[in-house]
Amino acid sequence: MAESYSEGRTGDGEYQEQFLNDKTLRRLGAAIAGLFTLGVGGFIAAIIFTQVDFELLVEIIHPQFVNAFLRVLGIVLVGSLFSVTAGVFVGLGRVSNTRFTNTVATAYVEFFRGTPLLFQLLVIYVGIPAFWPPGQFPISNWAIPTAIIGLTLNHAAYVGEAVRGGIDAVPEGQMEAARSLGMSYVQGMREVVLPQAWRNALAAIGNDQVILVKDTSLLTVIAIPELISAFRNVNSTTFDPWTPILLVAIAYLMITIPLGKIVSYLEARSDWGGDRR
Amino acid sequence: MSLLEFDEVDKYFGETHVLKDVDLDVEEGEVCVVIGPSGSGKSTLLRCANRLEEIQGGEIRLEGQSISAEDADINRLRQRIGMVFQSFNLFPHKTARENVTLAPTKVKGLKEGDATRRADELLDRVGLGAQSDSYPNQLSGGQQQRVAIARALAMDPHVMLFDEVTSALDPELVGEVLDVMHDLADEGMTMLVVTHEMGFAREVGDRIVLMADGRVVEDSPPEVFFENPKTDRGKQFLSKLL
Repeated sequence: MAESYSEGRTGDGEYQEQFLNDKTLRRLGAAIAGLFTLGVGGFIAAIIFTQVDFELLVEIIHPQFVNAFLRVLGIVLVGSLFSVTAGVFVGLGRVSNTRFTNTVATAYVEFFRGTPLLFQLLVIYVGIPAFWPPGQFPISNWAIPTAIIGLTLNHAAYVGEAVRGGIDAVPEGQMEAARSLGMSYVQGMREVVLPQAWRNALAAIGNDQVILVKDTSLLTVIAIPELISAFRNVNSTTFDPWTPILLVAIAYLMITIPLGKIVSYLEARSDWGGDRR
Repeated sequence: MSLLEFDEVDKYFGETHVLKDVDLDVEEGEVCVVIGPSGSGKSTLLRCANRLEEIQGGEIRLEGQSISAEDADINRLRQRIGMVFQSFNLFPHKTARENVTLAPTKVKGLKEGDATRRADELLDRVGLGAQSDSYPNQLSGGQQQRVAIARALAMDPHVMLFDEVTSALDPELVGEVLDVMHDLADEGMTMLVVTHEMGFAREVGDRIVLMADGRVVEDSPPEVFFENPKTDRGKQFLSKLL
């Protein structure tokens, strides 16, 4: 085995030209990236110039796609706010020393992370109204509350795990220092541990919130006129696939890309003197 | 009544008996230096003194009030006990000044302005007046440890616990921290100090407490301990130092 370390080396200690040296690797990488860009760029250009019907595009963009976009955006904003807030509490439950709290938080995470969101949506959408006699369920548009509740419950589990990881990554000495100054557990958590845990968990939370945006596509099955249903609507009446596909792609990216920027901004803001980790 | 009293304290980590029947009284204004080989229970003793560790037997009292009792108002008692850690444990998301003002504002309800004035005063006192807006990771280890001392002092503690506070420092930074502790001792602060700095122990300590295997084995004034220890364990320990 020892010879393998000296491969590509002559007896004099000079290096032979290797098949894949650093420079070649760099060029190869750039070449692949270039080809990829060219391919994808060409494909998109081909779609836009040969497949997209701009008259149809203008016709469907408003009000159908704009409405679907705004509806998704609204659900995302509320769902994000709720799921992140609830997730912090799930995370706190997961690190609790009280066995009961800890067990409940763990069971919560296991259930909501362990079953599909689609299933959870159906449970809420179909299951809950079944407690009332047929036709007696008091909420007329149950789909939107279902969406908010489902996304919140589901993503609070993921955010909770991110928060738990963030808290675990804060050294124990931080809470000890806070307690030794006379702060209570709650004060120590709020003032010392959570701000650091939040910073640690930001990337994972951001990741989950991007998934939440895309999970709104499942809402099509509970008859919320979101982006996928807008696509199906247009597609089934015009048989044009690419015009609505283009709009769907743009609409999702208009939410997910700024979301990523917000996370980067929040990360940069909690830099605390730079050079951290 | 002594300021800080350990009364037949027993402490276990699982099966391991780490503090065995420890009796120790620290008088007001006294600098009590605890030394001993690693694993002898020195740090544990200190951590029990503000209940970062629970004890299984005996009692620890601060100014006559039990720290170890089940119903002790520990958050209130801890305000009178300053603690400085080996690993500083500064809050990395707060500036030096904010590290010092946090507990006074949140725990004592001090006004922001008053707390800031006091913090600047304390940071000046530890020689860091110019660094008050720096974050911990912009400071050297010695500077961080001095901020940690200022942070503990901001609660106006009646006793200060120092847990091997120079052990994590580069050798050239040890002096600046010891100087601050020396000044504190001169001002009459009651201090319980766990350290490996024998020079400091000898010069600043009023008492040297030697621990071994979870027991206090010798308790002597420094001139006695370092010149002519009363016990064999003391002699043995000193012989290993040189």
